[in-house]
Amino acid sequence: MVLTLFLIITLTFFLVEAQPGDYASFYVLNPDLPPEVKDQIRAAFGLDRPVWQQYLIHLKNTVTGNLGVSFGNYPRPVIDVLAERVPRTLVLFLTATAVSFYIGFFLGKAIAWRRGGLFEYATTISGAVLFTAFTPAFALMMIWVFAFKLGWFPVGKFLDPLVWRGADVSANYVFGNMLLSAGAFIVFALLVMLLLKRFGRAVPSVVALPIVLGGAAVIVAAWAISGIGGLALDIVKHMVLPVATLTLISFAGTMLLTRNSMLETIREDYVMAARAKGLPDKQVRDRHAARNAMLPVVTSLVYSLIFAIDGSVIIESVFSWPGTGLTLLQAVRSEDLPLVMGAILFIGVLSLLAHVVVDVLYVYLDPRIRYQ
Amino acid sequence: MRFNRWMALCGLLVALFLLPGCTTEAAPESTPTPVTEATATPQSEVGEVPGATPTAPSEAETEPEGPSGEETEHVYRIGIAADLTTTNHWAYLGPDGTVWNGYVLAESKPSLYGYSAQRNDWIPSLAVDFPTPLKEEVVDGETLWTTEVELIEGVKWSDGNDVTAEDFAFTASTAAEMELTGNWPSIVDPDYFDYAETDGPYHLKIFFKQKPGLARWQFGLAFMPIFSKSYWEPVVTEARQAGDIIEQQKVLFSHVPEGEPSAGGFIFGQWERGAFAEKDRNPDYSFSGSEVALYANGAYSTSTLGLNEFTAYGEPSGEAVLEYVEGPFAASTIYSIYGSQDAAVLALKKGDIDFMLNPVGLSKGLQEQLAGEGGLTTIENASDGVRYLGFNFRRAPLDNRAFRQAVATLIDKEFLVDTVLQGVAIPIYTMVPEGNGAWYNSDVPLIGKGMTRQERVGRAVELLKEAGFTWETEPRVSEDGNFIEQPGEGLTMPNGEPVPAMGLFAPSAGYDPLRSTFAIWIERWLNEVGIPLRANLTGFNVIVEKVFDQQDFDMWILGWGLTPFPDYLESFFHSRHSALEGYNAGGYNNPDFDRLADGLLSETDLEAARQQVFEMQAFLAEDLPYVVLFDTPIVETYRSERIEYPYTDTWGGLQSVAGMPSLVDFR
Repeated sequence: MVLTLFLIITLTFFLVEAQPGDYASFYVLNPDLPPEVKDQIRAAFGLDRPVWQQYLIHLKNTVTGNLGVSFGNYPRPVIDVLAERVPRTLVLFLTATAVSFYIGFFLGKAIAWRRGGLFEYATTISGAVLFTAFTPAFALMMIWVFAFKLGWFPVGKFLDPLVWRGADVSANYVFGNMLLSAGAFIVFALLVMLLLKRFGRAVPSVVALPIVLGGAAVIVAAWAISGIGGLALDIVKHMVLPVATLTLISFAGTMLLTRNSMLETIREDYVMAARAKGLPDKQVRDRHAARNAMLPVVTSLVYSLIFAIDGSVIIESVFSWPGTGLTLLQAVRSEDLPLVMGAILFIGVLSLLAHVVVDVLYVYLDPRIRYQ
Repeated sequence: MRFNRWMALCGLLVALFLLPGCTTEAAPESTPTPVTEATATPQSEVGEVPGATPTAPSEAETEPEGPSGEETEHVYRIGIAADLTTTNHWAYLGPDGTVWNGYVLAESKPSLYGYSAQRNDWIPSLAVDFPTPLKEEVVDGETLWTTEVELIEGVKWSDGNDVTAEDFAFTASTAAEMELTGNWPSIVDPDYFDYAETDGPYHLKIFFKQKPGLARWQFGLAFMPIFSKSYWEPVVTEARQAGDIIEQQKVLFSHVPEGEPSAGGFIFGQWERGAFAEKDRNPDYSFSGSEVALYANGAYSTSTLGLNEFTAYGEPSGEAVLEYVEGPFAASTIYSIYGSQDAAVLALKKGDIDFMLNPVGLSKGLQEQLAGEGGLTTIENASDGVRYLGFNFRRAPLDNRAFRQAVATLIDKEFLVDTVLQGVAIPIYTMVPEGNGAWYNSDVPLIGKGMTRQERVGRAVELLKEAGFTWETEPRVSEDGNFIEQPGEGLTMPNGEPVPAMGLFAPSAGYDPLRSTFAIWIERWLNEVGIPLRANLTGFNVIVEKVFDQQDFDMWILGWGLTPFPDYLESFFHSRHSALEGYNAGGYNNPDFDRLADGLLSETDLEAARQQVFEMQAFLAEDLPYVVLFDTPIVETYRSERIEYPYTDTWGGLQSVAGMPSLVDFR
């Protein structure tokens, strides 16, 4: 992992460095600046040093956890810029990933189970069409139809300035709380399910859903009395269109993966045995086939979740959603080296962690797998 | 865990994000703040006070219409296409000098002098009148140049303090002593500015190390934004105690101003990063209600009740070509940040914003999208920039004047602009565009203008022959003059050597289709007469590196954004700027021009400087270190059913005046 990380950092640095010019080139275009002032600017950014020295400085900074100062937001630390952008991307893309995974898995399972029907053809064709749609054009079309023509949703952005004028809290505070709420809810739901499993048949499983819903209701109530519920609502309102766009574009990936995996699984002997035992169709599909078919799907989900942090440059640009994807693109274009390195490092570390998480999940999901 | 529980979990997670939206506000901070009536009278109080009780979504704010059907407050809504990077004005003029920062932070700081609307006359702003003429003085055995300025009494910062000469002296000395970088050295040039002395709160005496010309004083230091000493002095003191000068600058630039007083029409209020910035009306703006008039005879007059009356450039008489009253008329200005121009245009169409700021205006496609939309008005202005073809004088035959004139003759700008580019650009012939009326010389030689293809080729051949160039096969135009029947071959320079194969760097079509089209046609026209040229369409950064950093090129096409005072003529073409990374990248070296440029830099009289600039334009139009190609008009659209500007004809478009937040009025 350490070697992989080192390679990521090194490759990124030299790729960005290989671009013509540097950040200080921006000042070439001001004819009123004497050359010595341009040299001063280069010195302030550390760009007057040889490339190998700059590389060693970045390497040292990375190891010591100091990501440096963003040139484009001088003298703001890189970590500040990332901390500001990550929650926005996470809220949007985690939601979109969860929704598209849910829909994709549900549909994939269904079409694999009922092969050859009109439903399968219609779903597969429409999914494939959406999956291959040109994202910028499709996103703009969504805005044009649903925001501009029908007026149902806002035209991009993540909040309405008229709603947020004079607000006592920042958007990031609200985003942070939204993530915290989601985290708290997941932990609560997991605890409920673990406890139910522990007590076995002593507690009827039908109790689980009301308890989990009760937990959700408590969190919703907390939002309502927090005084920032209206602000969160505004963000949610702005999320609907980008989430819908992302879902429509990406659900087919999960759907087709699930379908293929399910088609292999339902041919297995144990599925036939379950049917032969006279188990209900739904039970055979969901508990015997789907669970075993989900391994590749879960792998795909975990990687999607990690790369959700990377965001999507296209979606963030079209919907004016200033997250990490857009930040990374702007940083690369302006050769804001510390910010590029910081963002890549962040994504690199998380993707490496994702591999570990997937390995652990495999063991949990498939008891046959054991690591020596 | 069963898989369907995972599914339920995912579903609930989504619901959790959605459910808070179904609740109603109940917290104290959600209490709507009463918003009082804001009339068109600039002096009237409004309910929206900076730092006032925060308001959550309220009926009065989200809906512009009040119960009576009248607007409860006027919010000027502007779209911008990138986020701010700072709200610290020191940093904005330093390492954070983006155009977007400039749009939002504009108008909050006073300056001694400024430009008049439309005509760009040099006029007093915080000063009572023009400064005293520069004079030589010996101070402590050192010869210095001095000038004195009287400041208007009673101009207030929004914190109630007076704007004084001390503020000016503090700002200039901070910039000089802390060696601030970025744009600061072009405002406070340490080679010229020595120090400023105050004699009472409203009298200023400025000392220069050497005689400053118009560029360093009248159009440099005199335009310096003045900072509030009472607010910034503690910050600067703290910064000065940090380590070396870079550390000191970092401390100053990293300060996030909160409650910084403004002397402009608006006070910076709120910045929600990535989403919007808001400026609130300054109820104590001293120039609210000022009446400004420009007359056809060139006169300029302004009158601020109880503060100052000023007239210049003749007696105000006859027809007033422009009259307006200073606002602000908006209770606040909101700058909404969009990720792309397309998104901002849709917002403009939908009515979410009134105007969008963009340094290059609207592209052709976006103009078409907005065409015919009700309630919108599209305007077109000359832009404050030029696109040019430059030559490397270090390489033959580009150092040959006749050769450059032949190239200029062959380029049919009118054909390209009118026929190929369908009128999206304007052909130009001088480095000072026509829109910059005060400095534009309409009487420069227009090489090649109005010629037919046949005449162009004939004239180019004639010029080259006169200079000693020869061909193995001379180019020949068809009888009808429409095409080259026989391309030129074997072109030889006066020294007998063949003209070498040359390259032309130009931006690719993805970056700028206009310049790449020009490059392709220039390649074709030059090849037709036997000049071996190949257009190399590449990235902007590659061109900048090749041309400015390495000077490894033959010809290049790029563009410049220009300032109203054309001292850039000296920066681009004086031989002293021809070293690596200098702005005279082509290495143009003409002692006659250098003399003219030096004269402009040291000139202190406005009229004499104008004559010099005229002469320089004529000189350059014949000597041709650049062949000035074209300019594109700035096309902008605003929601005229809601807002109105006192004028829309202005060089560089409304974006050049940051969308006029202090002047925009509401219907």
